[in-house]
Amino acid sequence: MTGPSAPADGTAAEPAVRTRGLTKRFRSGQVAVDGIDLEVPHGAIYGFLGPNGSGKTTTLRMVLGLVSPTSGTTTLLGETMPGAGPRVLPHVGALVEGPAFHPYLSGRANLDRLDAADATADPRSRDLRAAAALERVGLGAAARKPYRQYSLGMKQRLGLAAALLRPRDLLVLDEPTNGLDPQGTREVRHLLRELADAGTTVLVSSHLLGEIEQVCTHVGVMSRGRLLVQGPPEQLATDGESTVAVTTTAPCLDGATQLLADLGLTGVRRDGRTLTARLGMVAPEKISAAMVGAGLDLVGLEVRRPRLETLFVELTGEGFDVAR
Amino acid sequence: MSLADLAAAERPGAPAETPAPPRGAFGRLLRSELRLVLGRRRNLVLLVGLALVPVLLGTVLFVTRDTAISAGGPPFVDRVTGNGLFLVLTALVACLPLLLPLVIGIVSGDAVAGEAQAGTLRYLLLLPVPRTRLLAAKALAVLVFAACTVLAIALSGLVTGAAYFGIGDVTLLSGDTVSAAEGLARTAGIVAYVGLSLTGLVALGLFFSTLTEVPVAAMAATVVVAIVSGVLDALPQLSAIHGALLTHHWLDVGELLRTQIDLGVLGQGLAVQGAWVAIFGALAWSRFTTADVSS
Amino acid sequence: MASTAPARSLSPRARWAVPAGVAAVVAGAFVAPSVIASASSDLPELTPAELLVKVAEAEPVPLSGTVVYTARLGLPDLPLSEVQGASPLDLLGGSSTIRLWSDGEDRSRAALLGSLSEFSVVRDGPQAWTYSSSDDEVVHYTVDADDLERYGELDDAARSGAAPEVAGDLPTPAEAADALLAYAALSTDVSVGTATQVAGRDAYQLGLVPRTDGTLVDRVLVAVDAETSAPLRVQVWATGDTQTPALEVGFTDVSFTAPDDAVFDFTAPPGATTTEVEVPLPDPADHEGTDPEDLKDLGAFDGVAVSGFGWETVVEVEGVDIEGLLAGDPAAATALPGMDRSFGSEGAQDLYGELVGEEGTVPGVPEIDAAALYDQLTQEVPEGRLLTSALLSVLVTDDGRVLAGAVPAEVLRDLA
Repeated sequence: MTGPSAPADGTAAEPAVRTRGLTKRFRSGQVAVDGIDLEVPHGAIYGFLGPNGSGKTTTLRMVLGLVSPTSGTTTLLGETMPGAGPRVLPHVGALVEGPAFHPYLSGRANLDRLDAADATADPRSRDLRAAAALERVGLGAAARKPYRQYSLGMKQRLGLAAALLRPRDLLVLDEPTNGLDPQGTREVRHLLRELADAGTTVLVSSHLLGEIEQVCTHVGVMSRGRLLVQGPPEQLATDGESTVAVTTTAPCLDGATQLLADLGLTGVRRDGRTLTARLGMVAPEKISAAMVGAGLDLVGLEVRRPRLETLFVELTGEGFDVAR
Repeated sequence: MSLADLAAAERPGAPAETPAPPRGAFGRLLRSELRLVLGRRRNLVLLVGLALVPVLLGTVLFVTRDTAISAGGPPFVDRVTGNGLFLVLTALVACLPLLLPLVIGIVSGDAVAGEAQAGTLRYLLLLPVPRTRLLAAKALAVLVFAACTVLAIALSGLVTGAAYFGIGDVTLLSGDTVSAAEGLARTAGIVAYVGLSLTGLVALGLFFSTLTEVPVAAMAATVVVAIVSGVLDALPQLSAIHGALLTHHWLDVGELLRTQIDLGVLGQGLAVQGAWVAIFGALAWSRFTTADVSS
Repeated sequence: MASTAPARSLSPRARWAVPAGVAAVVAGAFVAPSVIASASSDLPELTPAELLVKVAEAEPVPLSGTVVYTARLGLPDLPLSEVQGASPLDLLGGSSTIRLWSDGEDRSRAALLGSLSEFSVVRDGPQAWTYSSSDDEVVHYTVDADDLERYGELDDAARSGAAPEVAGDLPTPAEAADALLAYAALSTDVSVGTATQVAGRDAYQLGLVPRTDGTLVDRVLVAVDAETSAPLRVQVWATGDTQTPALEVGFTDVSFTAPDDAVFDFTAPPGATTTEVEVPLPDPADHEGTDPEDLKDLGAFDGVAVSGFGWETVVEVEGVDIEGLLAGDPAAATALPGMDRSFGSEGAQDLYGELVGEEGTVPGVPEIDAAALYDQLTQEVPEGRLLTSALLSVLVTDDGRVLAGAVPAEVLRDLA
């Protein structure tokens, strides 16, 4: 699977998606997207996070050339959009703002329709490809049912099948888990990982962090039209404070408390037989070694890094304060 | 510059990595559009409904012939009972002011706006289908449907008329009589003229369809223009602009029933339709190729 | 619109320029022919007398063409929605299109076009037909057997343009011009206007301006084909509106080649209602005097009196049974003085016939409520009922006299 921009030497080259100062001001004057510099490295699974209305979908529409930006540029697979659309888009699978199909056609007929409209698709292999895509998203059995009879989850799956109708270098998936049950969400995560393993770059947006956090290699967080942070999640998370939780036996509790304080940990609190403290600059392995050396029972030791969730909430605010 | 030229100009040379588009890509797109338009149940119901007009008309005339209530009604009605061929004309003329614009308005207004509302438009554009090419395919598909509407009325009228009243020599408007074969040929000409008369409306509907994501709005706007055009045409104060009105030349179809057919009259009517097609086709193209697809 | 278009080849601004360009081209394509048509021509100059002679000497030529007749007579709106299809009543107001064929001799055909209807008048030597498509009615006019012999002589007269058209119901430029040229010598300033083009042909324009203020006619322009001297257009301006012609008859398209003979062959279509009408040939004596000076000969008809002169002429007809006419009683029509003959001025006769009471006598006219039409067209005055229009006034007195003339209504009322 080589696309127009597939770097010859691996990861260092041109990112799959890059925007510079991308801005969209609607005719109403409202600025939906405000000068964002998105960078999706080749081969990444990029989690594009932000509350509803933060500008994610408008950004993706501009990246794909559906909406013209007010200013700023986009390169997609190394080529400038929207001019390169006819060349680049065949290598891009997309699911933007929910699936959309003709309700009175079956799932399969809808895929056939899309494939027939695609000038670069080979009609001879259409049957095989459509069947494989439906199978891949678990719709093989419902292929002949009219789309309007599909459940929300099945519609979402058909949307994914359309994006997978042909081999892609880049998948742009906007809220792909919308309407899916936990089982379906797991399947999508699995699918994303599988695709990424095969070399496809995935740009996936969500307003629910928990759904994609586990599979993302990169994260970007949007709020009110601005891209607040982006990068690998662990890199973002270390900026926050980690804590350590040490579980021991009752007789050793006092000794362990003293030991943690001696090691330079602060804020030691006792909660049953578990002690928690701010880790600071102390390496967790030093704690276990010291415990063992002091002859204290070590039942469990857990380093709690600040979850992305916390960061997300910190950055975007909490509650129902939807950006717009 | 024709739409085809623009389509060609817009397509950059495909790079080596992209699989060369298999030949007949536009044909596949068009076939797919036609299947969509002609396979849709709503559109089929509309076609069947139009085809029922001559059946209904013929049946009524058959039942009431030789009775006191047989006189009056739309043009040619009194001639139908003598010659079934006139049922085609009567039905076409009866459908021209409202039914045909309504049906054409529904289908052409739906062409782009319907896909925009359903969201399928963005997925077509992401395939990608070049916008000019998509618009051209949509326009052709709606034109084919418009032809089907006229043919549905004509064929149904021909079969019904022949079954009820038979087909014989045709008395022209001028009072001269021509053979049934020539009458049939002239009827074919009438069908063709009526069909071509609807092209302006198709272009208009397509343009409205690119303006909105609400298909009903585009449909309504198209039908309203056709009706308003008919109303303006009836105002003698506006005679200066009558010639340019969308519907003004529709009834010039009667020219085909005169003793010497003046092709200039028919040509004028078709030229006006051509003007509407050119202007609103170009507007639709400008709008569609520059619009944000945000549904 | 945003700065970048979804496709790169043209900017949005350039894309929006395309429909503007298309509109300009379309407008150009539709306007250009009329600009070319109105381009001035360079014909040799003629004096009015030379032009009149040219017209008088012109041989009738075969022709076929389309005539557009526009009347802005200022008549009340007619309930014409009741009338389906083309009929001579259309000529009372608005614009009508007439297609004309003539072999230049005694065969001619005129078709008044309606949308999806037609009123045809076909003259083939001694017989003539009218056919109304909306009523599917044929009227067949023939000359009675005794007169048929004399037809040959009259035919020669017809060739010289002296005899009236049998099918005089539809105005043609030739007819209208004849009538107006007849007036030309009387109380009229005749001039040659700037050359023009009518139906794509170079034409001289003859201007006629009445010397008197006692008429409703302001001026008349007759366009005469430079090559064949056939009248191509007649425009009449009323004193009420000197900008727009109140009456305009002109070719929009004409060709001076012999039409296909088949056009003049008419057979009543099967199933049509046919009425046979036998027309007595006019007395030859009546036709020696088409000279305008003989206009007063009208008075020779029983019950017809003429007063005034030239543009101010008023014709008075006595003993008209208006109610009978409106009821469509043919007896009332034949009782009309001079009805079986011809006026010296065809134009006057035409207007008179169109505007007053021929409804009952022309079977080709659709059945509409003539009485209602009459009420609508006329207004109550102390002397009777009065019809006023831009060019013609008609007064029907309560004692059965009809006065008509191209004069202000007051003149008629004073005369009555």
